Amino acid sequence: MQTRVDGVPLAVGSVAVESVREEWLVEDRWWTPQPLRRRYFELVLADGRDVVVFEAEDSASWFLQRA
Amino acid sequence: MGRPDSHSASPPYVELHCHSAFSFLDGASDPGELAAAAAELGYPALALTDHDGLWGAMEFAQACKGFGVRPIVGAEVTVTAAEPFHLTLLVEDAAGYRNLCRLLTKAHEHTRDNPQREAGQPSVALEEVERLSEGLVCLSGCAGDGALAGRWERGEPGEAEGLGRRLLAAFGRERFRVELQRPYWRRDRTRNRWLASLAERLGVSSVATGDVHCHDRRRSRLQDAFVAVRLGATLEESEPLRRGNSASVLRSPATMAERFRDHPEAVTESVRLAERLRFDLTSELGYRYPGADDLDADRRLAELCRELLEDRYAGRREQGEARGRLEEELRIIRSLRLSGFFLLHRDMLELAREVAAEVRGPDSARSVLPPGRGRGSSVSSIVCYLTGLSHVDPVKAGLFAGRFLNEEISAVPDIDLDFPRDIREKLIPRVHERYGTDRSALVAAFPTYRPRGAVRDLGKALGLPPGEIERVARMVDFYGGPQAIERDVAAAIGDRRAASVRWRRLVELGCEALGLPRHASQHPGGMVLSTQPLVEICPVVPAAMEGRQIAQWDKDSCADAGFLKIDLLGLGMLSAVERCVEEVARTRGERLDLSRIPLDDHRTYEAIRRAETTGVFQIESRAQMQMLPRTLPQNLDDLTVQVALVRPGPIQGGAVHPYIERRRMLRECPRYEVPYEHPSLRPVLEETLGAIVFQEQVIEVSMALAGFGAGEAEGLRRAMSRKRSEAAILAYRERFIDGAVGRGVRRAVAESVFAQIEGFSGFGFPKAHSAAFALLAYQSAWLREHRGPEFLCSLLNEQPMGFYPPDALVHEAQRRGISVLPPDVNRSQVLCHVEGLEGCGTSSSLATRSGGRTVSVLSRDRSGAKRSDDAPHPLPTLGVRVGLGYVNGVVEDEMKALVAERESNGSYRGIADLASRSGAGRDGLERLAWAGALDQLGPGGRRAALWRLGTAPGGQRIPAGTQLSLSLEPPAAPELPELGRWEWVLADYRSTGMTLGDHPMELLRDELGPGVALSLDLKRMPDGGAVEVAGMVVARQRPATAKGVVFMLLEDESGTINLVVPPPVFERHRVEVRTAPLVRASGRLERRQGAINVVVSHLARLERPDLPLAEVRHIEPPIGRETGRERSDWEPLPEELAAVAPAAHSFGRRGR
Repeated sequence: MQTRVDGVPLAVGSVAVESVREEWLVEDRWWTPQPLRRRYFELVLADGRDVVVFEAEDSASWFLQRA
Repeated sequence: MGRPDSHSASPPYVELHCHSAFSFLDGASDPGELAAAAAELGYPALALTDHDGLWGAMEFAQACKGFGVRPIVGAEVTVTAAEPFHLTLLVEDAAGYRNLCRLLTKAHEHTRDNPQREAGQPSVALEEVERLSEGLVCLSGCAGDGALAGRWERGEPGEAEGLGRRLLAAFGRERFRVELQRPYWRRDRTRNRWLASLAERLGVSSVATGDVHCHDRRRSRLQDAFVAVRLGATLEESEPLRRGNSASVLRSPATMAERFRDHPEAVTESVRLAERLRFDLTSELGYRYPGADDLDADRRLAELCRELLEDRYAGRREQGEARGRLEEELRIIRSLRLSGFFLLHRDMLELAREVAAEVRGPDSARSVLPPGRGRGSSVSSIVCYLTGLSHVDPVKAGLFAGRFLNEEISAVPDIDLDFPRDIREKLIPRVHERYGTDRSALVAAFPTYRPRGAVRDLGKALGLPPGEIERVARMVDFYGGPQAIERDVAAAIGDRRAASVRWRRLVELGCEALGLPRHASQHPGGMVLSTQPLVEICPVVPAAMEGRQIAQWDKDSCADAGFLKIDLLGLGMLSAVERCVEEVARTRGERLDLSRIPLDDHRTYEAIRRAETTGVFQIESRAQMQMLPRTLPQNLDDLTVQVALVRPGPIQGGAVHPYIERRRMLRECPRYEVPYEHPSLRPVLEETLGAIVFQEQVIEVSMALAGFGAGEAEGLRRAMSRKRSEAAILAYRERFIDGAVGRGVRRAVAESVFAQIEGFSGFGFPKAHSAAFALLAYQSAWLREHRGPEFLCSLLNEQPMGFYPPDALVHEAQRRGISVLPPDVNRSQVLCHVEGLEGCGTSSSLATRSGGRTVSVLSRDRSGAKRSDDAPHPLPTLGVRVGLGYVNGVVEDEMKALVAERESNGSYRGIADLASRSGAGRDGLERLAWAGALDQLGPGGRRAALWRLGTAPGGQRIPAGTQLSLSLEPPAAPELPELGRWEWVLADYRSTGMTLGDHPMELLRDELGPGVALSLDLKRMPDGGAVEVAGMVVARQRPATAKGVVFMLLEDESGTINLVVPPPVFERHRVEVRTAPLVRASGRLERRQGAINVVVSHLARLERPDLPLAEVRHIEPPIGRETGRERSDWEPLPEELAAVAPAAHSFGRRGR
């Protein structure tokens, strides 16, 4: 995953991001041992796919899910 | 998101949608925090748009002014529809403000139209919004529930557009905006693109808003938790309705501009719009009180007062001085244009007189009493005295009126009136009738989060186990800082549990929640009246009690608005005294006129000096009882000082010990010269021996020492009394010291005197208030001394009130020889009453019957003190019979019917007779049986009565009442074991909340061993000696003024014991001190001029395998019951104790 300095994805794998359709934030379960903070993006990729990716801040990892 | 906020030289954005904690359980910051944050972030203006209310608007406006931020008035209004929606309404001008107040009043109008009068969701019809749109700017509402965004979210774009066109028609292009929000939800961009395109189609601008819910990111979690609390759910359960992230924090203008970078025109529009919204709540209300415009008021008031003065002071030596004072007060009143104000209060008192006559009835012994009494600084005014607003002669009492009335006052003065509760209850709706429901309302109050409530609410939201929550709630002291809290939590539930994430979060949330308003309530008696419709000045909402309504502002906001507030306070002791007068008339045929009792009764003062003041107004607390044997009051003037002395102001100002010590010196050496810091202070501090005890003395000292004018001195007092402003106090300090030094006072002396004033800081009584309370204190002490049974009976019937619960009142009375008789279906009324005792001799042989067995109540020598007149203390032939209404869980109407049937058709002859005739249901009769009220109907005591009830055909509850049954006597009960002594105590506490027979300590005494002293023994023990005591905890106090010392009051079978727990001992025994119902303590006996304490070095929970801990209650009375201060911390006892909690009238009387 390539990102800009502000964390917005530039490419998913080797496919460039054409546009960012949506961006949202989920912060939850802060009262449990597994707090959750995810930054989501709905992206249109250069190959025409519409995908949702999110960054899980606890693991600093990116995940891909269907839009 | 994650970017630091930054300032901008020219703010590109103004926040127009912001919730404070007055969006109850939704917003998580108070208005002051929002105003401060806005200033810090560089906002020139900020709108407050709480849900359906302006509760916090005045506080916000005042706070903003202090921070140089321009406040914009608004509200997020809920509109009635199949799916209710929100509109953000912002005030542009005075007409808009009037309309917003009317709309909000409408929105709440029917929120309590249900049998329980529980508050429902406010909402207003769209037609009303359309009708009252003038002067308001309408934004289309929030992203989730807004008029347009909400419909779009639900897939109804057509409906949204239609609604948009309707709003456009109502508000016009200049005053309707499509609102764009960016809460970082999944469809933000799509939604905002659609809304922006709709705005274009409608031909209006769009505007960006932040839907702020807190001022700082730390509060986001609390905001989540508040939502869960509001929904009565856990955080997990409330997930769909929570905001989902921390994006609703107030961020800088630059950050918000960046957030809306796709809609720059909407960002710019926020600034343009804010520029237009110039309505100033602090100066444009245009409020006037009734009578303010009466051109004839000066003449009418002067004529009335002069006539009354000639009558009241005729032939008295004070007449000349009184005339002089009256003319001076009238001159000031004229110059302040306040004649109408005083006439209005007079009118109010006349109304109260009518109501009192109706409530008391023409033949009542109470009819000679005035309808109410003044309290507060107004008691110092001769105009108030003459017009009946005060009952204390200010000339005779030497009261100084400057605190109440001077030419430099900037707000209308306060006149507070105390009424018996029953009169006040009827008076409030009558005031609404007299002045109009649209022109009068009660003042609001906002219960705020305090430690126990925070633990209970937030613990439940976090899904913590109820048992643990309760243990922690009773242990934790949130004012001790996070580390102390964590330690308390660990002490309550163990280190491992306390270290869990949820408990750590509870500690964090609890600290953040303290002081935030939880919901709206009503002030104990403050009412505001207005010439123009009040509903155009402040929204008005229905109160929980029918016939009452509440303005949306609390007393501080009302004062800021310049409202005339009249306090019609219900004073429990006034009610008790009136009940007592009636009971005396009933039992002795004597009509007592309390205004004519001797004010120098030796026996009464002897009792006061011995601190025998349980149940006496104002001087019954543990602290007062400690003080009385040291100050030894001799007269009403001394009592006036006494009432004011045990207050945070005099304590923190260092007045208490010098006053006590100087009184002692004067007693021992009449030529003793009282030292004064400066000769100019002698005239103003002489009556309090050089100490600052009364509020007026702050004013007088400032004038005498520093040369302050009356208004400037009052300004200093105010600066210290209300939400303290450090900057303001500092400014006054400089002026005070410079002024004093300029008058030749040494700087060190000026600094020392100012330090005393600062320590006093306003948390004290005005002398006038103390004088009024001292008189009631004396009258109640006189009644206690001379009409003991009736006085006790009145206290029991007027609960809750005072420092002690009924259990402690009864035990103390029993120790004085007053008989207290158990409930009895053939003797009791619904309330407690006084009745003649059969076959009793003198007090030394008095005994009470407790459920068929005789219990000696004077088995020990009590005080050993010789009484002044050697008369037996109580009248030996009278005792107090506990009412059937004291039995927990019985239905008031059933008990009334039971008593009425008995009085009409004779005593109940047996259990079957009772069951068939009384009209009481099975449940009520069983509760009576457990309380011993059926013991006289047959042999075998409570168990047998219960058994026989089980076989007796009882009445059946039907919708119309109770279907009576045939009187068929049930068979005799089998041999059942008698209740054990512990079981007896348990049953008493369960059924009436008090035990009349064995004291729990009496039952434990043998187990304690010979070394444990009785409270009675302490009087004979040497000062400084080692001592061990044990008792039931009656009160625990940890005053802020005591530097960590905890005071405990124990009760054993012979009296009470004061424990002083020093901080290190408290640290070692925190759990026991805070939670144990029975304790054993060892330490050193300390004797100071008649006051006896045990300074504790070791303390332990008193335990025994068969000890029914649930029987012994924890009593921690609320602070300031009679002053109307908030008591959100006075909460129900936990479930496991609730069943046996004392002091419970069964008809919802406690807590009222």
